[in-house]
Amino acid sequence: MNNSSPYLARLEEIHLSYRHDESWLKVLQGVSLDIAPGEVVGLVGESGCGKSTLARLLLGYRHPSSRIESGRAILEDVDLLGLERNSLDGIRGRRVALVPQDPTTALNPSMRVGAQIAEVLCEHGDEKSEEEITARIIELFENVGLPNPEFLVKRFPHQLSGGQQQRVTIAMALACNPSLVVLDEPTTALDVTTQDQILRLLVQLRSRLGIAMLYVTHDLGVVAQIADRVCVMYAGHVVETAATERIFSEPRHPYTRGLIGSVPRLDLDQDKTARPLRGLLRRSQLPKGCPFQPRCDFTEPSCAEVHQHPVEVASDHYVACQRWQHVEQEEQTRLKDVPESSPVTELDGDDPLVEFDDVSLSYSQPGRLDKLIGYSPLTVVHDLSFTIRRGEVVALVGESGSGKSTIAKAVSGLLPPCKGQIKFNGKPLPGQLDGRSEEQKRTIQYIFQNPDSSLNPRARVRGALGRPLAKFFAMKVSEITSKIAAALEEVRLPKTYAARFPDQLSGGERQRVAIARALVAKPSLLLCDEALSALDVSVQANILSMLEDFKKDREVAMLFISHDLAVVRSLADRVAVLFNGLMLEIGDTSAVYAPPYHPYTYALLQAVPDIERRNEMHENIIEQETSSGGRACPFAGRCQWKLGSQCETTPPPWRKVTGKHSIRCHRELDNLTALATD
Amino acid sequence: MSTEIQINSDQLEDAPISRFEALKRVLRQSPMSFRIGGAIMFVHVFIAITGPFWAPYDQATIFTGPPLMGMSWEHLFGTDMLGRDVFSRVIHGAHLVIILSISGSFLGVALGTALGLLSAYLRGWFDEVVMRLIETLISIPYLVLALLLVTAAGPKYSGEPTLVVLVVAFVFAPRVTRLARAAGLDVVMNDYVTIARLRGESAWSVIWRELLPNASGTLLVEFALRTGYAPVLIGTLGFLGFGVAPPNPEWGLMISEYRDLVLASPVVVLAPALMLASLIIGLNMWTEGLARILGRSVRHEE
Repeated sequence: MNNSSPYLARLEEIHLSYRHDESWLKVLQGVSLDIAPGEVVGLVGESGCGKSTLARLLLGYRHPSSRIESGRAILEDVDLLGLERNSLDGIRGRRVALVPQDPTTALNPSMRVGAQIAEVLCEHGDEKSEEEITARIIELFENVGLPNPEFLVKRFPHQLSGGQQQRVTIAMALACNPSLVVLDEPTTALDVTTQDQILRLLVQLRSRLGIAMLYVTHDLGVVAQIADRVCVMYAGHVVETAATERIFSEPRHPYTRGLIGSVPRLDLDQDKTARPLRGLLRRSQLPKGCPFQPRCDFTEPSCAEVHQHPVEVASDHYVACQRWQHVEQEEQTRLKDVPESSPVTELDGDDPLVEFDDVSLSYSQPGRLDKLIGYSPLTVVHDLSFTIRRGEVVALVGESGSGKSTIAKAVSGLLPPCKGQIKFNGKPLPGQLDGRSEEQKRTIQYIFQNPDSSLNPRARVRGALGRPLAKFFAMKVSEITSKIAAALEEVRLPKTYAARFPDQLSGGERQRVAIARALVAKPSLLLCDEALSALDVSVQANILSMLEDFKKDREVAMLFISHDLAVVRSLADRVAVLFNGLMLEIGDTSAVYAPPYHPYTYALLQAVPDIERRNEMHENIIEQETSSGGRACPFAGRCQWKLGSQCETTPPPWRKVTGKHSIRCHRELDNLTALATD
Repeated sequence: MSTEIQINSDQLEDAPISRFEALKRVLRQSPMSFRIGGAIMFVHVFIAITGPFWAPYDQATIFTGPPLMGMSWEHLFGTDMLGRDVFSRVIHGAHLVIILSISGSFLGVALGTALGLLSAYLRGWFDEVVMRLIETLISIPYLVLALLLVTAAGPKYSGEPTLVVLVVAFVFAPRVTRLARAAGLDVVMNDYVTIARLRGESAWSVIWRELLPNASGTLLVEFALRTGYAPVLIGTLGFLGFGVAPPNPEWGLMISEYRDLVLASPVVVLAPALMLASLIIGLNMWTEGLARILGRSVRHEE
């Protein structure tokens, strides 16, 4: 490497356009970015801001329908954009590597994972003999904290967990000791706990191997954990660049402030320094001047006209905003005007809407023969008992595979319980959908995780919202039209959207339509199955505040499923924590978020990427992903506060903290409090 | 609300383009086979619609001239052994072939779609029974199946154009069913189908509103391709004497009737044969081009 250059990689004034029908859409407009050797740079922005396009330029990759108008992408003194395909092959993998977002699609499902890494080594590596390659793969697997490397190299991708798969793609990127790794949203598809482990791994690899990284994400909370420097992008412009410490302590650009305000927080009491963003990034309506002007709270008329150049406001802190000096003051005065959000309203009386009575759920129904030989099928959820009261929001929190969605399916009638009973409105709820009354079908509505899949791509918004109205209320066409307009207004979409198809909406807008579709049926229970997980943080914050309003105004109860404790913090009245189908803790939200914690709840809380705890990643421990064996306590295999053999042999008892807050653990409550406050 | 979203009308700039505009755009980018096939089809359809008005003679009039007189200005394609004008017969036969092909394949695709989507949505024993039955039917060579059906219908209905349509539909339906089921299984996975199921919609309503619109791309392509195969099947049936009955100027039947005259007056056989060939080539090119356009637009939307 040439040591005279202070930069390892450098993007200079990149202008890039994508073909859009018959015109060219400017996606990157004069973007510059430097990465020093061994530095971790976080590239942050909402979907569609051009961050992935920019990051991939560092690999010399250009989309076939894109066009570079000007600019250079320099890696170690080579301009990647001027290179032929053959010369690029020599650089990719060897000097720069990519870790993609979704490991499930990045790995070839029909090849053993070891063989996939061997391919990279054969193509780019120095290892020649088969023994050398095998040894290198095992070394890589050890480096990325995969247990049992000799065993795992022979596995197929589907035999690994999501976290393990992502470790394999990281190992693949590291295979030839590149000097730069581009990570494109590497943890967005993962659970918080897995995300935490991957982040720890990256921090550790970076300090040990000294690799520079470009970490692309939409989540500032994640960047706070890992990056040295943060670069915030909006609509193809870099709007702010600064050291991580500075960007969180003294954000200058209104957009950065909004992004910080959008990150879900565990502590609600702390004064927020900024408010969440409003609106959406729309390429079609960017003004001539500052691209952020339509969504900005601090604009003056000239913003829309004057092009904003990055200004150095402090050493190595660049902001592209002409009003950066006024932003801080104005925000302070505005925040005072906002009325304090009222604390969670105490529900009067015990008015149960849904009661789970010792419910067990299983995907395979026992056949006649199974019953004869006394075989019981694998249960996914065991002995679940809890209630949801009228107008109450209960959050179900746990990792994927913990059975949260299965519970929602049982309530909706897609999966009849194999043991126990669910009561709705005091009456037993038939397990099969066919047995349910029209009224029951109407009052229980489901909102799915992925709005791409939950809206019919061939039906207009009008059709999606009109059908439940016609079905449940037998309305006339004229009535339906006015109802649809009202429903769209309620989810804060313009009523002209009724004529649109889902592909003409953004992800957040689609989810709003899906929510509106559930709400027009006037439900008394909403099942929200990871309804926010597929969305950008900024969009998440907006929809969350909208759901909070519904809770107040419409008294609709929700079963809110999430893997992230921070997201449900402000919305939920009560939180239930689930692991491997067993409920481990349940209680009022404020109680669950304060000690004593169940060991698993504590682990979940620790995993939430928190802006306040930035760069506090412990580098010493890599938590090896172990299968959580334990016949008695399912969490015993991963518990950091495990007592001893009793955790594996005797089922843990419920311990009452207060009237409504219970923890299922062998440890004494005082003991749990002491461990958490240490 | 502080986080209120303000949306103004100029956000609607990217509003959907009109259907007409979209159609124009598709045509401008259409593949060459679509255009050539389209031109051939245009000629055929033009003949089929207007032919009966300008054909010089009626198709059944005998002794319009001496039998087997060969090509002349009065009789462009000559006359047959009964002195009928072959040119007029070919012209009169055009609409017959086209109508039989389109209605036969439409009926087949409609039947297959309904059964296939229902199978994909219901699954379980219904799906099993239907699929085994379909597999049995597909394992019979299609010509044998067609001949079996004509024979089974009995002499009373043989030679009826309706029977030909039904036979074409029945031969095509099992193949379409399998395809529709596969397309349906893809769509059924989506959450919007689950939402419709949770709403308590009937199976037909789910199929009509949720499955059909999303499988329609594949099915339109299938309809186009089947319409291309249909004239071959109809022509073959006619040639073998199992199609429409003799006085009808169906091209396959004409080839069969005149095949002894191939040495005496070649044009008499060649005329219907070339017409049938050009129709099949035109239809195939056009439907293949259409399939590409539809396939592209289906992909484009995803």
